[in-house]
Amino acid sequence: MSKFWTVVGFTIRNKIKAKSYVISTLILVAIISVVVNLPYMIDKFSSDAPDKIGYLTASTEEATQSSVTPSVVGDQMREYFSKQEHPDYEFVPIENQNSDEANEQKLLDALSNGDIDAYATFEEDGTSFPAMVLHADKVYSETSKANMQAALQSIKTQFALQGLGLTDEQQTALFSQAVVDSVKVDISNGEAVADDTKEKAGALYGAVYLILFLLFMTIMGSGQLIATEITAEKSSRVMEVLITSVSPLTQMFGKIFGMFIVGIGQTALLVAAAAVNLSLPHNESALNNIGVNIKDIPLDVFIYAIAFYLIGYFLFATLYAGVGSLVSRTEDLGQAVMPLMFLNLGGFYIGIFGLNAADASFVKVASFIPFFTPYAMFMRIGMSSVPVWEIMISLAVLLITTFVCGWLSAKIYRTGVLLYGKRPTIKELRKAMKAYKL
Amino acid sequence: MNPLVVERIVKNYGEKTAVNGLSLQVSEGEIYGLLGANGAGKTTTMRMVLGLIYPDEGAIRYNGQAYSKEQLHNLGYLPEERGLYPKVKVNEQLVYLAQLRGMSKKAAEVSLKKWLEQFEVSEYYGKRIEELSKGNQQKIGFIAAVIHDPQILILDEAFSGLDPVNVELLKAAVKGLRDSGKTILFSTHRMEHVEELCRNITIMHRSNPVVQGDVKAIKKQYPRERVMLATDRDVTGLETLEGVRYVTKHENVTEIGIASEDAAKRILHHAQGQADIERFELMQPTLNEIFIKTVGERHE
Repeated sequence: MSKFWTVVGFTIRNKIKAKSYVISTLILVAIISVVVNLPYMIDKFSSDAPDKIGYLTASTEEATQSSVTPSVVGDQMREYFSKQEHPDYEFVPIENQNSDEANEQKLLDALSNGDIDAYATFEEDGTSFPAMVLHADKVYSETSKANMQAALQSIKTQFALQGLGLTDEQQTALFSQAVVDSVKVDISNGEAVADDTKEKAGALYGAVYLILFLLFMTIMGSGQLIATEITAEKSSRVMEVLITSVSPLTQMFGKIFGMFIVGIGQTALLVAAAAVNLSLPHNESALNNIGVNIKDIPLDVFIYAIAFYLIGYFLFATLYAGVGSLVSRTEDLGQAVMPLMFLNLGGFYIGIFGLNAADASFVKVASFIPFFTPYAMFMRIGMSSVPVWEIMISLAVLLITTFVCGWLSAKIYRTGVLLYGKRPTIKELRKAMKAYKL
Repeated sequence: MNPLVVERIVKNYGEKTAVNGLSLQVSEGEIYGLLGANGAGKTTTMRMVLGLIYPDEGAIRYNGQAYSKEQLHNLGYLPEERGLYPKVKVNEQLVYLAQLRGMSKKAAEVSLKKWLEQFEVSEYYGKRIEELSKGNQQKIGFIAAVIHDPQILILDEAFSGLDPVNVELLKAAVKGLRDSGKTILFSTHRMEHVEELCRNITIMHRSNPVVQGDVKAIKKQYPRERVMLATDRDVTGLETLEGVRYVTKHENVTEIGIASEDAAKRILHHAQGQADIERFELMQPTLNEIFIKTVGERHE
C-alpha cells in the first residue's frame, strides 16, 4: 500500500511542478475570470439606447386621406415600441417636406448627423397594406426584422379588425395568447413535483450541462495524460526498472489515482475561480438574471453527479492506461487512443443532445451502455424523472464494466509494457499474454 | 547455497523457443557473463530472472527460494537503454525508485549522495537527466540499479556506448560490488570486458546455451591456432610450411594461422634459420574468437 502512495505522490509532484500544467491552469483561470465577468463588461460598454428609426410624417396631400398611409403606420409603430419596457427601437417622426427629393435629402441628413440610426419608408404595392423598407448603413439581422415584422403584423391586424366592427371584448378574446406550460411530474404517482418552476429548470439545465462538460474535459485531459506518461515511461525504458520494483497493478492504479487528484485539483481550482468571480458584488445579479440559483438544484443530482463522475473517470482512465502501455513511441499514441476519444466524445454528445430530448428512446438505450452511462444516465436523472431501478441497473452495469476493464487493462498493461516495436495486434497481444502466463 | 540458481529453464513464445534449457549458478562475489548475438535469448533470460515473465519449464531460485514479490528488493536491474525519466531531476527519481524498492527516503538520500561522490558527479544531484551527457546518464542509471544495495545485480549491456574513461569508472564500480560479495549477472557482446570481469560464462546461440563454464577452462578446450612472430629481418617462405593456414603481416609483428600446434615448431625452426627472433608466442584463443567460432559455426 505504501508503494501505491509513493507512485501517487510521484505522479502528482511531477505533474503539478511541470511548467505546462502551471501555465495551462493559469490561462484557464484567466479565461474563466474573463468569461464570468463578460456580461457585466458588455453591459458597461454597450449603450441601452434603442435604435432610432426615422419616418416621414404625413404630407399635406396625405393628411386629407383617411386610408392606411405610411405616416399612420409609422405612428402606430412608434406607439407599439414606446409601450415596451425596454424597446429595441424608437420610431422618430421626421417632418414631411412635401417633395420626394427634399424628403430624401432630409432623411439622409438626419441619418448622417446621427439623429437617427435608420429610416423607414413604406411602399404601397397595390395591396391594402404598405411594405416597410429599412434604410441604414448596416444590415438589420433576421431577429431585428422578425421583431419589426411582428410589430407591423399586429398593426395590420388591428387595421383589418377595425373594418369588421368587432366589440372590444371580441377583440380582446382574439388577441389573448394561447398558453403552453411544462410541469415535471413524479412518475410513480403522476403528481407534479413541487415548486418545479422555470427558474429551477434553468439552474438544472445549466448544472447538468456544466457537469457533462467537466466530465468530458477531465476524462479527455487526464486520459490523454495517463496514456502519454505510460508510453513515455515505456519508450524511455524506465518502465523496465519500474516493473522490477513494484507490481504493475500498483503502478498503473497509482498513476491513475495520482492523475485523478491532479485533474480534480485543477477542476476545483477552476470552479473556485468561477465562484470567486461570481461572488464579486457587480456580478451578484448576473446569475439571477439568467434564472439560475444553485440552491434550486436538488441534492441527489449532485450525489449522482459525483458517483457517475468517479466511475466514469476510472472506466476511461484504465482503458487509456491499457492503450498507453501498448504503444512504444509517443508519436504513435494519438492514433491508438482515437477509439477511446470517439467513445468519450459520443457519450458527451448524447448527453448534450439529451438535454433537450431527455426521453428520446436512443438516449434511454445509451444510458445503459456503460461507456455512455456517465453522460446519458446522469443527464436523464437531471432533466427527467428516472425510476430508481433504472439508475441502479445502469450503475451496476457501469461498475461491472469498470472492474472488467480495470482487470483487462491491468493484464494488457502487464503484457504491453514488455512489448516493443510496432503496436501489437490483438492476436499478438493474446499470444504474448499466454506466453507470459498472465 | 548460491544466491542465484537457474535450473534448465525453457521459454516458448508460441511456436518459437526463446530459451531452451539454460542452467547456471552465480555465487557470492561473482560476475557471471551471459554472452550471445542479438536475439540469442539473453533479454528473455534476464526478464525471467527478474520475474517479469515466468519460465515454461525449469526453475529459478534466489537464495534457495522460488520467486516472490519480496525478492524485488533483493534485485537490482540496469536495462540496456538507461531507464530514467528524461525530465525529472536526478535526486527526485532516484529517491523515488529506491523508495519503490522498499528503502526509506532518508536512507535513499544518503546512498545517492555516496554514489554520486564515487562517480565524481555530485553536481548533478538536482539536474534533469536530459541535461546530462550519455555517459553521465549511464552512471545515474547504474546508481538507480544499485542505490538500494541489492544482493543480486542484473546488468544488461552496462558499458554500451560509453567512452573509455567512463567504461573504466563503471568497471571499477562493478568490481567493487563484486568484491563486496554481490552476485552479478552480466550480459554483453564486448568480449574484452568478459575476460576481465567474469569467472564463468554462458554463450547462447539461438536460444541454446552452446558454451558454458569457467573462462580459463573454456579457453583451454580450444586449440591454439595463432602464432605471433617478430624478427629483426623479414622472414620469407612461411606460407609454404606444412600446417600454415595464413600469414598476415602487421606493422611490427607477423600473425600466422596454424592448423595444429606442430606447425608452430616448424615456424620457429624456419624463422630461426633466417633471422633473430624478438618475439615468438603461441596465442591462446581470445573469447572473441571462441565466440565467433561457436556462434559462426552453428550459423547454418
